[in-house]
Amino acid sequence: MKRILHLDYAQPTGRLASHFGALARGNAMAWLCAGCGHVAFPPSLTCGSCGARDGAWIALSGRATLIQRSDMQGAAYALVRFDGADNAALVRLKNPEITTQRGALLPPENESGLWLELEEPRNDD
Amino acid sequence: MSDVLIGGGAMTAFNRRKDGSSWRDWCLEAFHSALDDAGLVSCDIDALVVASESDFFSLQLNPAALIADELGLQGIRLLRAEGGGATGHLAVQAGAALVASGQARRVAVLGFEASAAHLDGASVGALYSLSYDAWSEGALGIGSASIYALSALAFMQETGATAQDFARVAARNRQNARQNHLAHLPLDVSEAEVLASPLVSAPYRRLDCSPLSDGAACVILGSGADLPQRSGRARLAGMAVANDRVRLGDRAAPGRFVAKTVAMRAALAQAGCASDAIGLIELYDSFSGAQLQALDALGLTDNVLTAERDGCFAADGALPVNLSGGLLGQGAPVGATGVAQILAAAQQIEGRYHGCRPAQPPRFALVDTHGGIATLCALSILEGSV
Repeated sequence: MKRILHLDYAQPTGRLASHFGALARGNAMAWLCAGCGHVAFPPSLTCGSCGARDGAWIALSGRATLIQRSDMQGAAYALVRFDGADNAALVRLKNPEITTQRGALLPPENESGLWLELEEPRNDD
Repeated sequence: MSDVLIGGGAMTAFNRRKDGSSWRDWCLEAFHSALDDAGLVSCDIDALVVASESDFFSLQLNPAALIADELGLQGIRLLRAEGGGATGHLAVQAGAALVASGQARRVAVLGFEASAAHLDGASVGALYSLSYDAWSEGALGIGSASIYALSALAFMQETGATAQDFARVAARNRQNARQNHLAHLPLDVSEAEVLASPLVSAPYRRLDCSPLSDGAACVILGSGADLPQRSGRARLAGMAVANDRVRLGDRAAPGRFVAKTVAMRAALAQAGCASDAIGLIELYDSFSGAQLQALDALGLTDNVLTAERDGCFAADGALPVNLSGGLLGQGAPVGATGVAQILAAAQQIEGRYHGCRPAQPPRFALVDTHGGIATLCALSILEGSV
């Protein structure tokens, strides 16, 4: 018995719309908790540090430092911390052939998810 | 925990089905074999709890109603449980709660999954990526191997665990599975072969990863007074669940399975036993390193790496882990996985397990299962008859 489903979802992002809107342009919009000052990128609806729901959107530079990196055939993923964020984020590396530890956020290739372009190695000669 | 016994149980072979059989067939087989093992018949069952992770695999919404119909069960209480990789274990705990609360007398907990036979590996991987935060991690096309790999790298950095430690786990669990005729991957492999297998996502190689499996498993739960008098059946002495942040980056320690530590304390308290009374473990080894991360979090040894390297977790060690072969060896049809773990641990402490058994059945066994990457952690402590 052969079955094929083609499902075309359109998902509203609700209170996280500011984050996803900025992300589509390659910008990092984080959530600053009004309760404890925790800066979350990516953000959550409730502060993971103090449980507060009030806060404000703040722009980050979009630059990040690698914490861990795992390579597979044709792709690489990393756990990174964006400058100014208190949490870490899981990103896909746009240019996995590069092995530097710093990178910058890019507009996502498939409309969501965090993509990071690593900096080219510096030539100090 | 009150008097909830595992009256009996059974599982189908776990493998990649190519024989034309369907998940409905597997459910029927597991259910009736479990009834036989418990000394019951269909009309004795007054509640059915179905465990199935995703309707995308079975292409059947409301599977509990359909399965009850196929099993010839009518007019009984139905429930479907879901919690990622912990789905089967949560279903057992839900069934036990029905018995303990007096809402049912004899509960069949039936887990199944048809992930391997129905879809190609890439499609299954795409669905499993939705097990994490589907709006961020899942949207990247990341697979479970890479998320587990990033967590394992953090664990390695903090503890000094090595790829060789992971390979030892992967080889040992496959060797344990060789005595389990229902196992998916009963492989005669060595640590060197694990280390030489193709890279999946560093540090994980193909043999560090559990397979996609098809299959079903069923256990029958009830109080002692409502089950046939069969000697030595195991009791669910303690059960607990705890969660962690879904996204690895939101965790203070991405390499540690902190929720298991929380759940372990609660399960031990409920069972009324000390951690050193646990004599064997069936543990959620979706990846080889995850076995060591879980053991680290469960806190049953002073130093998990020293214990691992000293052979503590081997079949003939002081605390045998995954005598069934675990997910790495026995396989992982998700909805059935936790049910089969409970069944294996119960039969091991009852002294009647069909595969690798401890030399002397201990009084207490621990079963550990999780969904996500140790995001939703379920633990149960089973006690043999005394």
